[in-house]
Amino acid sequence: MSQATATLTQDRQRLELSALSAPAVIFTVGMIAFPVVYTVWLGFQSFSSTGKQSFVGLANYSKLLTDYEFWHGLWVTIALYVLSLVLQLVLGVWLALVLFHAKRLHGLVRSLFISPFMMPPVVAGMMWLVILDPSLGAANYILQSIGLPPSDWLASPTLVIPTIALVDTWQWTPYVALIVLGGLQSLPPSVYEAAQIDGASPLKTFQRITLPLLLPTIVTAAILRSVDLLRFFDIIYITTQGGPGNASNTLNIYGFRVGFEFFNIGYASALMLTLTAIVFGAVLAFNRLRGAVAW
Amino acid sequence: MTAKTLMAHVAIPILAAATLSQAHGADFNWKKFQGKTITFLANSNPISQALLTQKADFEKLTGMTLKVDTYQEQQMRQRLVTVMNAHSDEVDVFMTLPSREGEQFAAAGWYADLTPMTKNVAGNYDFAGLSQALLKAGTFNGKLTSMPMNIEGPILYYRTDILKKCGVEVPKTIKDVQAAAKKLKACDSSITPFVSRGLKPAVAYTFSNMLHNIGGSYMANGKSNLCSPKGKEALETYSGLLRDYGPPGVVNYSFPQISALYRSGRSALSFESSNELRTVMDGGARLKDTGLAPFPAGEAGQVPTAIGWGLTISAHSKQQEAAWYFVQWATSPEIQKRMALQGIAPPRPAVAKDPEYRKWIDEAPVRKEWQAALDVLATKGSSEVGYPIVANPQSREFIGQAVQDLILKQKTVDQACADADKALDALIAQK
Repeated sequence: MSQATATLTQDRQRLELSALSAPAVIFTVGMIAFPVVYTVWLGFQSFSSTGKQSFVGLANYSKLLTDYEFWHGLWVTIALYVLSLVLQLVLGVWLALVLFHAKRLHGLVRSLFISPFMMPPVVAGMMWLVILDPSLGAANYILQSIGLPPSDWLASPTLVIPTIALVDTWQWTPYVALIVLGGLQSLPPSVYEAAQIDGASPLKTFQRITLPLLLPTIVTAAILRSVDLLRFFDIIYITTQGGPGNASNTLNIYGFRVGFEFFNIGYASALMLTLTAIVFGAVLAFNRLRGAVAW
Repeated sequence: MTAKTLMAHVAIPILAAATLSQAHGADFNWKKFQGKTITFLANSNPISQALLTQKADFEKLTGMTLKVDTYQEQQMRQRLVTVMNAHSDEVDVFMTLPSREGEQFAAAGWYADLTPMTKNVAGNYDFAGLSQALLKAGTFNGKLTSMPMNIEGPILYYRTDILKKCGVEVPKTIKDVQAAAKKLKACDSSITPFVSRGLKPAVAYTFSNMLHNIGGSYMANGKSNLCSPKGKEALETYSGLLRDYGPPGVVNYSFPQISALYRSGRSALSFESSNELRTVMDGGARLKDTGLAPFPAGEAGQVPTAIGWGLTISAHSKQQEAAWYFVQWATSPEIQKRMALQGIAPPRPAVAKDPEYRKWIDEAPVRKEWQAALDVLATKGSSEVGYPIVANPQSREFIGQAVQDLILKQKTVDQACADADKALDALIAQK
């Protein structure tokens, strides 16, 4: 077979393969692109309370700038995000270290740790709602049994964000711990042997070797949790619906209520696209950080 | 074939069919849409649960298939918004709360006009026997948009044993409630003296009753009226009761938390929906120590909140006539009697006089009090929950916010009502 014929056959095969895979590719791209394009289009529309629709250009986005609820929701979202992420990363690394060294209890401890994040968030929300009920819940019963005053937990405007952050930390710290544990297990033993020969203390070994080498893994865990935390919805909706008052009204909860309770789908779309941009921004920032700490 | 098997195979089905058609009106061709499938979007509450226990009866009577999509209330509305905005015919019949979303859905054109359909009914349907107040509440711009499924409203649940122990009379007025709560708090510190709804979107349901009993109104001269003397009095009274005598965390309380607290024996006085009777009595612990009374009177007397869920047909349904068969069956005297025997208050006064229903009522003293409270709802009820505007659901947010601001002592009553009035005036101005 001449080279020209072989090239022709290869091109034909490539064309056939492209044609065969095209429907799947078009379908997949369509499935991803259509909702995004549709939401962008909705963001330029205004829907009255009665569902009447009109094109308003960028009015929904300019409305965001003067909407107190938007800025408040942004503040609540960021506060909840930072508090939860810091708690989960610190506790997750600590748990991973415990798991790494507690070799005898590996199977049992890992199974126990996996259980919270295997639980559907709605179930977790319902469970914590009962536990944290100021009158009937176990949390206040325990506090009072040891002589501490009861707390309003989710009903207190000042405590609601830390309380929700604690619930999320309970559910997702094991997930962070498992990611970090994977990172710990892949660290090269030779650097630890060298440190041991040089007489480094366990604390110094952790500070100078383990933590720097683990940073790319920790940043990966931070990216995964950031996406979830900035879009945090289910547990908040189940436990407080954004209350008391507006104390836990995150952007996601606010957008949902504007869209599905007050029927202003256009403004809700603008809110959600803004939130999406924030999520992308956070992921991009962490990606850059991951590049900087890679080894 | 023996006489017994002949009886089982032939006579019993014929007898059953005859009874069924008699119950639903033999003069009416119930089989007209045999083979069709009706899709019903239901809110998973005790009303739909009671109705759907009779689903087989509908399918047998009409030969139609009833496809049921059940969601929790908010998720049901979420699904409805998606379906209706897409002008989809996926849903034929759905449940609606006219007092909340009636104006909005009617203005959006989501409801089919049921007025002409009410002419096409079985002989024993008794359209005139349905609560006229509820039919009126479901009528917008002269069009009947939904058929009432039940009647409900907030009533007072009280613990007879605790009131007796503390020497407290059953409250007849709102001032009595305040005095009783104070006395109960001093008498037994382990009991929550009073509980009512404190969750922001849920407050309007019980607060509206207090506002109306005190003599206030939501609007005056086209403007929000919460800062009127009566409005402020209602805000202070309602939030004061919850702040001073309510359970900790009451700002997150709606009907599930209130019923759970009362059922567990931890509250003495409770304003909650008449619909919650079955939940409150669940387990039997409260059957013998509970009394029920209408919402206590204020300076304007008793203006109880009386609302009801309705069944409506989607304006986008392509089989509205067949859907009407389901609506008609579900709101017929026979089905509403069967639902009443499951604790769903009937929107037909005649059902309350039915011997079978009377027997059920007479089985427990608490049911008699329940029926007496329902009679007050039916005769004096107002369906105004929140502002009578298109954006009613959003108006409830601002009412709830004002009440929560006062419960949490975040604002004075003047600040709370002024902020609410400002937001509500903007809402009223929206078209």
